[in-house]
Amino acid sequence: MRVNPNLVPDVLADLNQSQTTLNAALQEVSTGKSVNQPSDNPAAAAAMVENTIETGNLDQYTQNISSVLSTVQTADSALSNVVSSLTQAVSLGTQGANGTNSTTDLQSLAEQVQGILTDVVNQANTSYGGTYLFGGTASTQPPYTADASSSSGYTYNGNNDTNSVAVGDQTSVDINMPGSQLFSNATTNVLGSLSTLVSALQSGNSSTISSATNAVSSAINYVNQQRVFYGNAETQLNSQESYLQQETVSLTSQASSLVDVNMTQAATELTQAETANSAALAAAAKVLPDSLINYLGIPS
Amino acid sequence: MGGLTTSLLIGVQGLEASQAALDATSNNIANSNTPGYTREVPQLSSNAETDIDGTISGGGVTLDGLQSVRDELLNLQIQQQTSQQSSADTESSSLSQIQSLFSTSGDDLATTLTAFSSSLQQLSASPSSSSAQQGVLAAGQNLAESFNSTASGLVSAQSSANQQVTQTVSQINTLSQQIAQLNTEIAQTVPAGQDGGTLQDQRDQLVQQLSQLTSVSVTQSSTGEVITTGSGTPLVMGGQSFNLQTATGTNGMQQVLDSNGNNITASITGGQLGGAIQVRDTTLPGYLNSLNTLASQFATAFNSAQAQGTDSNGNAGQAFFTVPSGTAGAAAGISVALTSGSQIAISSDGSAGSNGNVANLSAALTNTLPSGQTPANAYANLVFAVGNDASNASAQSTAIGQSLLQLTNQQSSVSGVSLDEETTNLIRFQTAYEAAARIISTVQALSTVTLDMGSDQSY
Repeated sequence: MRVNPNLVPDVLADLNQSQTTLNAALQEVSTGKSVNQPSDNPAAAAAMVENTIETGNLDQYTQNISSVLSTVQTADSALSNVVSSLTQAVSLGTQGANGTNSTTDLQSLAEQVQGILTDVVNQANTSYGGTYLFGGTASTQPPYTADASSSSGYTYNGNNDTNSVAVGDQTSVDINMPGSQLFSNATTNVLGSLSTLVSALQSGNSSTISSATNAVSSAINYVNQQRVFYGNAETQLNSQESYLQQETVSLTSQASSLVDVNMTQAATELTQAETANSAALAAAAKVLPDSLINYLGIPS
Repeated sequence: MGGLTTSLLIGVQGLEASQAALDATSNNIANSNTPGYTREVPQLSSNAETDIDGTISGGGVTLDGLQSVRDELLNLQIQQQTSQQSSADTESSSLSQIQSLFSTSGDDLATTLTAFSSSLQQLSASPSSSSAQQGVLAAGQNLAESFNSTASGLVSAQSSANQQVTQTVSQINTLSQQIAQLNTEIAQTVPAGQDGGTLQDQRDQLVQQLSQLTSVSVTQSSTGEVITTGSGTPLVMGGQSFNLQTATGTNGMQQVLDSNGNNITASITGGQLGGAIQVRDTTLPGYLNSLNTLASQFATAFNSAQAQGTDSNGNAGQAFFTVPSGTAGAAAGISVALTSGSQIAISSDGSAGSNGNVANLSAALTNTLPSGQTPANAYANLVFAVGNDASNASAQSTAIGQSLLQLTNQQSSVSGVSLDEETTNLIRFQTAYEAAARIISTVQALSTVTLDMGSDQSY
């Protein structure tokens, strides 16, 4: 069979091929990515869409945890202050109930307890980042305001609702407890017990003072029980944070295995492609000009 | 009668034959790089011997003509493969342009969808923060713009494929006319059944170009070549060409009509025309449809989540996105309807600090849409489809390119001009010419001897 005398198309196709390989290898090394456009690896590109969205969500969940954690910690420390104020009120009440106090003494004790009541109300009106922590979801206004018509002297402006914040795809954490449950519950009314103690001290009746003091004591227990809610929320947030960290690591490594280049391999491939390309060019330069004419003298 | 005159005549025929062979060689060398040129070999035959009164003498040599060396079957295969390759090339180049719309770039849908989702999670943690509300609004606008720009990228790729259809049809018509012209010339100058030589080379070259534009089927008839499209619409019949036409169809796209005005768009395959029609009428509309479905269903789901809550002004949640009714044009037309972050329906109980409805809003991003896919899934599937189609088209083009190269090699090995061969022929014919010339000078010398016989005069 006659041999194809025209080497040019073959040589060009080979040069083209080796140039394409070289370009691809160069792009992988210079971008550090093996998938630079969807057609490089359609499945990996599609998986990366979900990976990107999930990674974005995890970042945001992690940020949510740190901001929610501060809120929860602030609420917890406010409640801790409430407990120590109440404890102080109990000791003042106990002192008032021992029957040895003058009217002036009792009056001064009553004023101190009144001061504690104001403190507790201030704690109940704690806000963090412009959000009142104990007003339920009506968190844009102070939950407790002075109201002479109320038995405790304060009225609750909040509601009974709670907010929960997403900290994972299927996980959300309740982050607040309404003041109506914490401070002005119908059965254990923290503010009410303090204001009753003030009136009892002002009346000077030892037994009334004593029972009012007991009511404050049980309020302490009640508040301590409710604080467990915030403790649990903190624990849940911390464990969720470490879970998210692991998730982020695994998503990052998934992304890396999907689209990142194995540098050693890519660099080797680049070197191979360079060598192949130079070889193809050298071969073309050597083969193309050859013809019988080069070896025949010009006829004289 | 054999004699010196016979030798002289045979010698002259030899000179002429060698001269013609040298011409053919020289023409081959001159055309060694002419596209579509088929090498020609001189057809020499020896004349019948003459027997006059028992004296037998050779009849010399006659040049019957030049024969082009071609393989028609290979030409047909090359035409078919060329059509397929240029169709795959057209698809591949169109798809590689729109691929960038789906690469992670910062304003692609994956990125803006992520940002929108994150902004909602942030709102969940600080529902009453106006900057978080504004963040959701801005991320929503970016998302809508991403839908818009992706859709407009697809539409503009579609309209450039549409332009290509019109241009290609007019190129096909020009080529059909030229081929018909050549058919006429060949019929006039070349006896039926004989090779058309360079005219045929030119015609083959034009048919080759035509097969780049659309798939064609070529048959021979008594009046020349008959060329039809792959589906049988006549383009050339002997000396007559039939122009294709274009007209705007009901979908706003250019439709291809045959010379009688019948719409043949759907039956066209292969070549640039087939590729452009495939991309314009099947591939891109498929992507647009997926994108529109996603935009429409996502906007509807998000709007209904918005309607479940109360905004920061205490009003029932209004639609977040405006989206054209019906699926068509949803991605191009989607926009954010809200004007302020305070209109986002964050609250589930009506109070300003509640974040109860944010969970519903976020769920619109993660729940399955009526299509059965989550928004992320639906978009990921679209990315996969685009990447897969682009990679298939380019792989197909490479594969056909390989087999086309094989066929061209084969064709070239039959019809191509080999300079080595021609140089060898040059030497061969040169030697033959020199030998024939020597015969003439020998006969001349012998004639002198003959004339000198019996005379003291020297001629």
